[in-house]
Amino acid sequence: MDNILSILIFFPAFAGVLGFIVDKNSARAYGISVASIEFLLAVWLWMSFDGSNGSMQFVEMLPLVPDFGISYYLGVDGISLFIVVMATLMILLGMIGMSIEKDIKNMIISLLFLEMTMVGVFLALDAVIFYLFWELSLVPMLYIIGAWGGPKRVYASIKFFLYTFIGSLIMLVGMLFLAYLYHDVTGTWSFAITDWYALVLPIETQIWLFIAFFFGFAIKVPMFPFHTWLPYAHGQAPTIGSVILAAVLLKMGTYGFIRFSLPILPDASVYMITPVAILALIMVVYTAMIAYAQKDMKQVIAYSSVSHMGIIMLGVFAMNSEGISGSIFLMLSHGVVSGALFMLVGVIYDRRHTKMMSEFGGLASIMPKYAVIFGIMLMASVGLPLTIGFVGEFLVLLGFYNISPIMTIIAGSTIILGAVYMLSLYKKTFFGEVTNDENKGLKDLNSREMYSLVPLVLIVVWLGVYPKPILEPIDNSVKSLVSFMDKKAQTQEAKDIIVSPKKEEGK
Amino acid sequence: MENLLYIALFAPLVGSLFAALFGMTPKNLITGFVTSGLLFISWLASVLLLIHVLSHGTVSANMMEWIGAGDLTIDFGFAVDAITAVMMVVVTTVSTVVHIYSIGYMDHDKGFNRFFSYLSAFVFSMMILVMSDNFAGLFIGWEGVGVCSWLLIGFWYHKADVGTDVNPSISPSWAANEAFIMNRIADLGMLVGIFLIYWNVGSLNYNVFFDAIPSLDNGLLTSIGIALFIGAMGKSAQFPLHTWLADAMEGPTPVSALIHAATMVTAGVYLVIRANPLYDAIPNVAIFIAYLGTFVAIFAASMALVNRDLKRIIAYSTLSQLGYMFAAAGLGAYWVALFHLAAHAFFKALLFLGAGNVMHAMHDELDIFKMGGLKKVMGGTYLYMGLASLALAGIFPLAGFFSKDTILEVAINEDTYIIWFTLWVTAGLTAFYSFRQVFLTFSGNERYKEIGAHPHEMPTFVLVAMAPLAILAVIFGFFMEPFNEFVTTILPSYEMSHETHHIAWFFIIITTLIALSGIFYAYKKYASGLIRDKELESSFVYRLLTNQYYIPALYNNVIAKPYKEISDMLWNKVDMKIVDTTVDGIAHFFFNNGDRTRRMQSGNLSHYLNWMGFGAVALMLFAVIASMIG
Repeated sequence: MDNILSILIFFPAFAGVLGFIVDKNSARAYGISVASIEFLLAVWLWMSFDGSNGSMQFVEMLPLVPDFGISYYLGVDGISLFIVVMATLMILLGMIGMSIEKDIKNMIISLLFLEMTMVGVFLALDAVIFYLFWELSLVPMLYIIGAWGGPKRVYASIKFFLYTFIGSLIMLVGMLFLAYLYHDVTGTWSFAITDWYALVLPIETQIWLFIAFFFGFAIKVPMFPFHTWLPYAHGQAPTIGSVILAAVLLKMGTYGFIRFSLPILPDASVYMITPVAILALIMVVYTAMIAYAQKDMKQVIAYSSVSHMGIIMLGVFAMNSEGISGSIFLMLSHGVVSGALFMLVGVIYDRRHTKMMSEFGGLASIMPKYAVIFGIMLMASVGLPLTIGFVGEFLVLLGFYNISPIMTIIAGSTIILGAVYMLSLYKKTFFGEVTNDENKGLKDLNSREMYSLVPLVLIVVWLGVYPKPILEPIDNSVKSLVSFMDKKAQTQEAKDIIVSPKKEEGK
Repeated sequence: MENLLYIALFAPLVGSLFAALFGMTPKNLITGFVTSGLLFISWLASVLLLIHVLSHGTVSANMMEWIGAGDLTIDFGFAVDAITAVMMVVVTTVSTVVHIYSIGYMDHDKGFNRFFSYLSAFVFSMMILVMSDNFAGLFIGWEGVGVCSWLLIGFWYHKADVGTDVNPSISPSWAANEAFIMNRIADLGMLVGIFLIYWNVGSLNYNVFFDAIPSLDNGLLTSIGIALFIGAMGKSAQFPLHTWLADAMEGPTPVSALIHAATMVTAGVYLVIRANPLYDAIPNVAIFIAYLGTFVAIFAASMALVNRDLKRIIAYSTLSQLGYMFAAAGLGAYWVALFHLAAHAFFKALLFLGAGNVMHAMHDELDIFKMGGLKKVMGGTYLYMGLASLALAGIFPLAGFFSKDTILEVAINEDTYIIWFTLWVTAGLTAFYSFRQVFLTFSGNERYKEIGAHPHEMPTFVLVAMAPLAILAVIFGFFMEPFNEFVTTILPSYEMSHETHHIAWFFIIITTLIALSGIFYAYKKYASGLIRDKELESSFVYRLLTNQYYIPALYNNVIAKPYKEISDMLWNKVDMKIVDTTVDGIAHFFFNNGDRTRRMQSGNLSHYLNWMGFGAVALMLFAVIASMIG
């Protein structure tokens, strides 16, 4: 299967088109089958991936517009591989757990198109292709929020669309300028990201480009102060929308920093560590406090997402393999854990049609299975060792400590503040007496919900105890990235801050 | 030997998982038996390991790699040396007794199976904590015991919150959250210590770090020492992170015996003992630890003097005794600290289990003012609690006498007279409050009749299960010399000077005297019954002590409430009003301008020509100005 990456990208879209002729009653089964095949393909890719090799693999290259150096150029390395696997898994589990009955066929088709765009973003190595998938991903999401969302769904979906769209336009300008610079230096056009890596740019140009890319990525992450679209989007989106948004779409932003900003603009990245880190710290502390003030369960999880994304941002800018590998691992673990938490909120919303914590209390005695799974995800979310959440968080904080101890201590408050809002959510919802009569007859998790949640619980424990199968390939790619940045960096400051690993990739 | 190590470590985990299978089904005695049996196996393995370590030295095992990124490699590595072997035996001894005891104690509880699952999971975490050969492994156990204690303190999660005037701990779930969050604050300190070690040594392994100490800068070592000690302060509930321990008494009593007497709270002491090469290199930090421990000893004892809650009194005494351990460790007498840790684990667990018997008999009533005269119906428990209290008070020949007396001797030997004097006074206070509690509970008039209680003794097997602790509380002191020899193969030995040796008998006598006078005073005041002194109870000092120096109220008013208010304000005022409104404002600006300029598209050709002319003039003007500027 030489074209495995193309198959991974276009199989869901192709199946989505076929989905129009599928009968409405079998749409869910159809969607789940397609998503399962897609997930198995992603696992197959993982199994045939050489984890000790840090460079791009399964590369596909097909010139599209040779005059401008635009080509259909795909590849996968340790950094993108697991995000793709995670994305396909979350789509699959999200579909299994989905309780939507209305227009189920359209929902399945939207999800399959969304899957294409997401996988495409992470596999593209050509900036134009990357941008194409990046923007296309907005459309199905807009549709999912706008058609299946809550009462304010139109406002939320338009806000989501316009906000991220504006950021991407600024990023597009940066990309065009970068291609122009490439032409200026080499005399040929190219939009291949790997070609751009070779480009050594003056510091000032790097900073301008960094800022242009920053808008595109930061709004997606979303970084403070560009984060306010997210609570609206989560607040209005159906469960499946929130799951995909939190698990995968946000990761596009942080992935973009690693794929573009760090290797293309290493000096500017080092130069911008402090301002970016300050924004990240605000995200960590400020949104953790806001999460504590929420009355709606889903909003707590939404704001906690922003808070965790702040930690991921810090890891990206730690400029050493420990921190960057940690932040990629944290992207995966946050995807799994926040996805699971949104599904869990969806479970109770399906039963009671409210997400307000004041409506609940004492659920632990009525819905014990639900309480146990929620508890496990809570512990993963607050970064308990031997759960998936610890590994990434620990590595990020460890890595960033080398940049700034003070900032790391402030960011480290996440282990306290995270515990504060999550435990208070758990106490309000699950502990105490059952005061509300409407809760007394609630049913515990049904088999459909168990099928979607139990695999996530297993992953949380497995990767918490034995993260090596995933961490090692990630780390090998990150090591070559960091060594590359160290070689490419021009200023002494950048060279000092970027820490090349002593152990070479593959050991 | 590796197999024994793994058996000791994983037997509790297997038990926990087994009990978890029955977690949602009604009470099944098998969970109690299986977990207790596996704990016994773990104990047996620990004892065999101890014997092996005694003759052959350290046993170590490397299970597999855990985290590897960049230059960092963390293994699941375990090492059993003398310190660990002692900790393992102490932990498994108390745990086994507590497991068997709980079969009786939790008999009527709906969450019987769940309880044993949590209890064994806790023991597993504690075993990781003491057996790991690196700081990351320690941290796994460190956080693991935190979560298990969260589960166990909040075991009766269905109880609703009540005001602090009714119950100072508010509710089990509140107390559980408090304990978890307090511990997390300290854990941040611990993490910083770990980061410092990694970036300066390159490994988190104990031995690698300890070997590197001579080559490290003193300022750096001080930072590491402080950071790690902050972690220790959380687990061992040292001031100012102490409030969670008393509130943690909301958990079932066997939990208090296991976690809040013998194991988790001693983790901080264990860390300081383990990191002895570090603290030897930074005497300033070490002496600070000793002074802080001394302060906590008397501070906690003072709160125990007036408390009416049976379990809280014991909790404060635990806090106070942890202070003694830190004092010893801070003064460099690590083996004495470890010895007191072990002795304390035995008699304090016994005391807590005895309190559990009383609670059971009194239908969960904890106010000792409402008890009295229970010795008639609960002879066995009276014997146990009396014995444990004598040990706690440091009366010859019980275990507490040897360990506490050695700590006081160390204070004399180091010429730290303030520490000696404070600890000496505390010894008197300890004896007083211990026997105040014993007499108010077991002697005097039967006040429980007023509240209509019908106390009854626990089943015999429960009393038998407690016997090992009672025996250890009596005889453990006589093993002090072999203990010293054994642990100082790893720990630095501590020799008393000749002068101290000569005058030691004098200090033994005056320490025993103050303890005996404490007991005597308690006997005179409370043995014949409770006479309440309204004037005393309304005095300022008394109220200060009953309100725990107003520290919980202070934390609530200065930290918890403002944090909530600021969070609310950030959300309502800043995030919604400023950040989001700005974003929407920008959007509205474009929308409104677009809406207004839309009128230009009137479809009227002459309007378009006008605009064209206007545009042309504006462009020309711009060109002229631009060329003039240059």
